[in-house]
Amino acid sequence: MAEEQRIGSILLVDCGTVMTKATLLEQVAGQYRFVARGEAPTTVEYPWSDITAGIRHAVERISASTGRRFFEPNGDLITPELTGHRGVDAFAATVSASQPLQVVLAGLVRNLSVASAERAAASTYSTTKAILTSNDRGGGHSEGANVHTIYDAAPDVICIAGGVEGGAAKPVLDLVEAATLASSLIEQSVRPKLLYVGNSRLRRRVVQMVGKRAELRVADNVRPTRTEENLVGAQAELDGLYVQEKLERLPGFETVSNWSAVAPRPTARAFGQLVRYLWRLGDGSKGVLGVDVGAASTTVAAVFDGRVFTTIRGDLGVTFGGERLIDEHGAETVTRWLPEPMSADEARGVLVNKEIRPTSIPQDMRELWLDQALAREALRTTLELARPGWEPGAAQPHPHILPLCDTIVVSGSVLAHAPRPGQAALIVLDALEPIGVSTLVLDAHGLAPALGIVAEVKPLAAVEVLDSGAFVNLATVVAPVGRARRGEIILRVHVTYDEGKFSVEIGYGDLEVLPLPPGQQAVLELRPLHNFDVGLGRPGKAGKLRVNGGLAGLIIDARGRPLRIPGDSEQRQSQMQQWLWDVGG
Amino acid sequence: MYYPFETQVTPLTTIRRKRMLPAPGEVLVRIGDQVDPPQVIARAELPGDFRILPVARLLGVPASRVKRYIRVKPGDDVQEGQVIAKRGRLFASTVTSPFNGMVTASGGGRMLVEARSTTFDLRAQMYGTVCNVIQQRGRHYGVVIETPGAVIQGAWGAGGESFGVLKCLTETASELLEAEAIDPSSQGTILVGGRGLSEAALERAQQLQVRGIVVGGLSPELIAQAEQLPFPIIVTEGIGAMPMSQPIFRLLKTNDGREASVNGQIQTRGGIMRPEVIIPTPADTVPPAEKQPGVPLEVGARVRLVRAPHAGKVGTVVALPVHARRMETGAKVHGAEVDVGQEAPLFAPLANLEVLR
Repeated sequence: MAEEQRIGSILLVDCGTVMTKATLLEQVAGQYRFVARGEAPTTVEYPWSDITAGIRHAVERISASTGRRFFEPNGDLITPELTGHRGVDAFAATVSASQPLQVVLAGLVRNLSVASAERAAASTYSTTKAILTSNDRGGGHSEGANVHTIYDAAPDVICIAGGVEGGAAKPVLDLVEAATLASSLIEQSVRPKLLYVGNSRLRRRVVQMVGKRAELRVADNVRPTRTEENLVGAQAELDGLYVQEKLERLPGFETVSNWSAVAPRPTARAFGQLVRYLWRLGDGSKGVLGVDVGAASTTVAAVFDGRVFTTIRGDLGVTFGGERLIDEHGAETVTRWLPEPMSADEARGVLVNKEIRPTSIPQDMRELWLDQALAREALRTTLELARPGWEPGAAQPHPHILPLCDTIVVSGSVLAHAPRPGQAALIVLDALEPIGVSTLVLDAHGLAPALGIVAEVKPLAAVEVLDSGAFVNLATVVAPVGRARRGEIILRVHVTYDEGKFSVEIGYGDLEVLPLPPGQQAVLELRPLHNFDVGLGRPGKAGKLRVNGGLAGLIIDARGRPLRIPGDSEQRQSQMQQWLWDVGG
Repeated sequence: MYYPFETQVTPLTTIRRKRMLPAPGEVLVRIGDQVDPPQVIARAELPGDFRILPVARLLGVPASRVKRYIRVKPGDDVQEGQVIAKRGRLFASTVTSPFNGMVTASGGGRMLVEARSTTFDLRAQMYGTVCNVIQQRGRHYGVVIETPGAVIQGAWGAGGESFGVLKCLTETASELLEAEAIDPSSQGTILVGGRGLSEAALERAQQLQVRGIVVGGLSPELIAQAEQLPFPIIVTEGIGAMPMSQPIFRLLKTNDGREASVNGQIQTRGGIMRPEVIIPTPADTVPPAEKQPGVPLEVGARVRLVRAPHAGKVGTVVALPVHARRMETGAKVHGAEVDVGQEAPLFAPLANLEVLR
């Protein structure tokens, strides 16, 4: 996809765990436009066992609507484009269909080095099989127990952190020894690799200690001091291991690589690139956030001051992981978001059935609510994992709540295919609890990851595709931060449209939707109460700003931060129902 | 074109199943051999338990000085209770082997003792003929067994593998299997119920040591109990009260009294495994091989609806409308019209259809 080459058509594919999405972009009148999309079940598993079959099926849908032929009779992709509407000039793919990397984390202190290693692992598709801590302070397990834990977990990689620079050596080396020993006991063909990301002064001793008993990689110390975190090296190594151990081993991956002008990459990484690209297009003082709720994983990508922080829960999506979530944290974790009562057993039944029929979709309201409730919880838990690793700088006016985000990209089938836009908006508001003024942008066609690649290699094309309606504005959200009595007027909003104007008063606890359809703009004059902050610089500061409309309109979310949910189940359900009605869900 | 999820409900086909060892080992049968379900067809040695003995700490000496007290070396066989290290005479500190095994490593004041390997016997679990031996680089990994017979794939399952005589205990596909229906003659059989079974029936089946259960649905509150059963359970429709699909119930009923193999193992990701029932049946000629999936959905296909409110209904696709339609949830989806024997065909999203073949 080099700049010099004329590229009139681009086929983008995202191979997810359950669905494969294909999108065709074409240059029309000198500008790249989104032309068509197709979707089909992913075919990585038996009986297909070939990722390319799902791609062909998805592309067949584009062929049906455009008449374009993409493949030779022998199955080869036709590229570059030939006359007669055959083939495409470029192909790019993102993939998340593989199993996550299985990781065991080891470190000295749970809340320091281990937490940093956990965040490093969460930057790629991974699941943490076990966490080991040093026994030196009496908090961890014996070496024998650690060896057994690793042996039983049989991970792909053991990531050993621990020790600030120049800190204690023995407990770190004990962990290395346990990891090496456990690794050497595992059959060679599936032996885990060791990744050392601890005190760098011990590297030489670690290399000597491991010797030829296991394959060792090293990266910079993830916790060089108690207050400093450096995940870059560890993230790169883990990402590389995921690509090498999981992605490249997918059946059909080689064929997809041969079709691609740029190497296929993990979906979440490409998604992070797109979010960074959108940050560059904005004013930069606030952050940009992207959330992608997939079938088997949930991704939160945040950009502050140009730095991307990508966090993935590789074991929790809206299809896979729900049953385990309610096993570990109780069904109410999910059912608390429902507008109707649902027993733990009923919820479990629906979640298990969804796992055994992963491509199926809810046909009745109760199952739809449960899907959406799970999406909220998947986002909340991923956000919880992500936030301690962020460095939002000036975008964080209030500690312990979400930093100011200019744009929030909303991706994933459960959000993009929500029957009503208000439902998608409410999931995001409940899960992320944004503050100030944000624009929710819906990735209606599942294009975001693939556009991340396009943005990297052909930025102009990405801008043009975005402008051509690949993304749609879901809503503009105003969320004041402060404390007041329920019902007390905390914000006066004056809205000026081209055709007229009106004013509303917002009470604390309200969730108000004002009509402002996509394509329409309005000038908002916000006058918050003296102790309420709407993101204009300080509490009480008023201001005017121009905002865009969205599918769900202009939402004033004055429910407070953090969001409070009634403890009583009846009150809670009626509150959930009320919020749904409020947003037109 | 839409390529739907498929479920096998086949009365007669040539079934081929791989039987794999967990580690390379020895195959005890040859191509062409007839095998029975309990027959051991391959064997492998699996590594035993291991223990790290912190010898220096237990003897109370620094790691650098422990060598003089150690009485074994890597490679030595040791017996349970055998002294591995000893310090002192009158009030001696000793370290003994926790089991029969071998010392495999020592260093840093510790010793690694590995227990003797255990033998894993792979059984055929089905009647049939060995048609292939799976080997790679001279190492044997398992065999392929072939038999003519019926196959039914389940939706959910638990437990391992088993075989026994099928015993249908309900008259219809929509009856609940109750404890009263399970009498002592059920011992050693594979029970077939209708839409599910009661908790009492599950307990009764355990008491009578049945070899397996096949039911349409399973109440979600019984999942945990079902996962602990000493025999496989296969749920053909899904979790919840769901009558068994008529084609499945009929096929099981037809084969009432025949021997069958059941496998309750399920894996929904990373190497899909579906629970299944295999019923070997005599055939004069070799029946066709199992159909390969991958046929686009067409009018006339026999399908099962998999999501509420129509979960478990089976019918025939009578139309594939070009345009998307709105469902109760408000979502607009592409779907099919399915004749399930009601007055009018039902509209169901393509994603919620499963072809029965």
